[in-house]
Amino acid sequence: MGNYRLKNYLICSLILLGMMLFPLFNNNFVIRFGTDILMFAIMASAWNIIGGYTGYASFGNVVFFGIGAYVTAILMEKAGLNFAVAFVLSGFGAALFAILIGLPVLRLRGHYFAIATLGVAEAMKALVQNLELTEGNSGIYLPMLDLSVKSQYYFFFYMMLGTLVVTLLVTYLILKAKFGYSLIAIREDEDAANSVGINTTYAKTMAFALSGFFTGLAGSIYAYQQAFIKPGPVFTVGTTVKMIVMAVFGGIGQLFGPLLGAFCIEIISEVLSNYFLAIHTLFFGAVVILAIVFTPKGMIDIASQKKFGLAYFLQNIRENRV
Amino acid sequence: MLLQIIINGLLKGGLYALMAMGMSLIWGVMDIINIAHGSFIMLGAFATYWLFTLLGVDPFLSLLPSIAMLFILGYIVQRYLINLIIRSSAFITLVLTFGIEIFINNLAQVLWSADVRMVQVPYGAANFSIGTVATVPIVRLMAFLLVIVISLILFYILNRTTLGRSIRATSQDLDAARLTGVDVPRTYAVTFGLGVGAAGAAGTLWSILFPITPMMGGILTLKSFVVVIIGGLGSMLGPLIGGLILGLTEAMGTNLLGATYENLIGFTILVLVLIIRPKGILGGTD
Repeated sequence: MGNYRLKNYLICSLILLGMMLFPLFNNNFVIRFGTDILMFAIMASAWNIIGGYTGYASFGNVVFFGIGAYVTAILMEKAGLNFAVAFVLSGFGAALFAILIGLPVLRLRGHYFAIATLGVAEAMKALVQNLELTEGNSGIYLPMLDLSVKSQYYFFFYMMLGTLVVTLLVTYLILKAKFGYSLIAIREDEDAANSVGINTTYAKTMAFALSGFFTGLAGSIYAYQQAFIKPGPVFTVGTTVKMIVMAVFGGIGQLFGPLLGAFCIEIISEVLSNYFLAIHTLFFGAVVILAIVFTPKGMIDIASQKKFGLAYFLQNIRENRV
Repeated sequence: MLLQIIINGLLKGGLYALMAMGMSLIWGVMDIINIAHGSFIMLGAFATYWLFTLLGVDPFLSLLPSIAMLFILGYIVQRYLINLIIRSSAFITLVLTFGIEIFINNLAQVLWSADVRMVQVPYGAANFSIGTVATVPIVRLMAFLLVIVISLILFYILNRTTLGRSIRATSQDLDAARLTGVDVPRTYAVTFGLGVGAAGAAGTLWSILFPITPMMGGILTLKSFVVVIIGGLGSMLGPLIGGLILGLTEAMGTNLLGATYENLIGFTILVLVLIIRPKGILGGTD
């Protein structure tokens, strides 16, 4: 057992070391691509906390991304704060919003929760498009980062990497603690969890807040990196779909599933958009469909199965069709 | 002025009702929220547009081919795609229909470009007045009446035919329905076809009244949700009432706040109804 654990730690450290050294051997374009993968890995991992472990499939997590981005933009541009402060406050702003919205919305289950969160995200987009503070559809410019071009690429890469590591570490610690077991109990049977004395309202609201916190941090870094944000792209429902598909593709309720999913889906999307520039979004739709039909349990499940290839897919389909 | 707003709201609300009927049927029977619903509405609209532009078919006449085409498309999509994962967790089907939405929208955009198009019929501007206070555009009134006719036909199919009985049986208890000899996969596919067919009809009527683009589906899906949620699942009356309520509230709200608030009004209603009365104001049996 001790050996097994040591081996796991060793593998994780090696992967982390690999990611830390990644920018040193690559050009700006590739570093930027890596930064995007890390950003989606953060969001998919954060989605995993509420959608994967707690079983509340949120279809509005992009709202936290958008709030994080806008809090950073407003605090830096209008209040003149520096990025470090804005970054932290963005996370807490998104978490606070998650708590406020979660208290009523988390009472809903299944489809109703999914639709309500989707509605919250769309309502927020419409609100930001109309508010004076957010400058509506014309968007907000952020102060530029005062560093050389190369250092900027490094800065955003390591910001994302650091946030991802913290996200995964916190998720790992939660899973080891009683709180993690509460979340999984809620996913498996919420009424039973309630009746054995778990404060389910508290637990799921906290899970939602954590999910919002990390997604908000990703939004904050994104806004600073872009130096200009608009409601349309920042609150697009496509981002939510992407994080869910990544989590599903990698493996829902698996610590490293979303990271793996983000890596695979981003690379597939990138290859597609290189070869089929005009129609790559069309292919993205096809990737979503194929990923869902063939790997509803994720890559990590495939890796742990004895059946491979066609036999595995057919078994999945046999289990799930009518 | 107020009467005019109410008339406009009700006439648009009828269209919302038809959009939501198809979604409500699929949701109620199969427990699938079809995110691609708006994309099917868009396809119905473009079917009408092309029939009108290329062959000169009157848009109201193209209702039948549009419904037929979308029915067949819906049948195939359910039977050979959605059916493969229908028993996995609910949100998996949700993500799958999201994928279908992305695919259809972008395919339409590649094929027909992102241009905004109109179906301009010669009688489009005709209207009649009620006294001096309000005017009623004839095409909108015809569309509204057609919505009622289509709802009655759908109601008849569901409540007075063998097919309808097997659909309702499947929705109530899958295993019991199967035991009594209902062909469940076929029933599911036909139900999905009916829902998508209704979306096609809504698309046809939409194209007569409003401009169309390949990307118009997303917002229509969301509006259909709002209507289904307001009216509640489980009856044909739900979407009808929900549609009229949304149409009216939007008309009043945009009059008070301005047109840019239209979507905000809809989504605020959605979230509020979900929080206060998740089963809809009719309180259907979910």
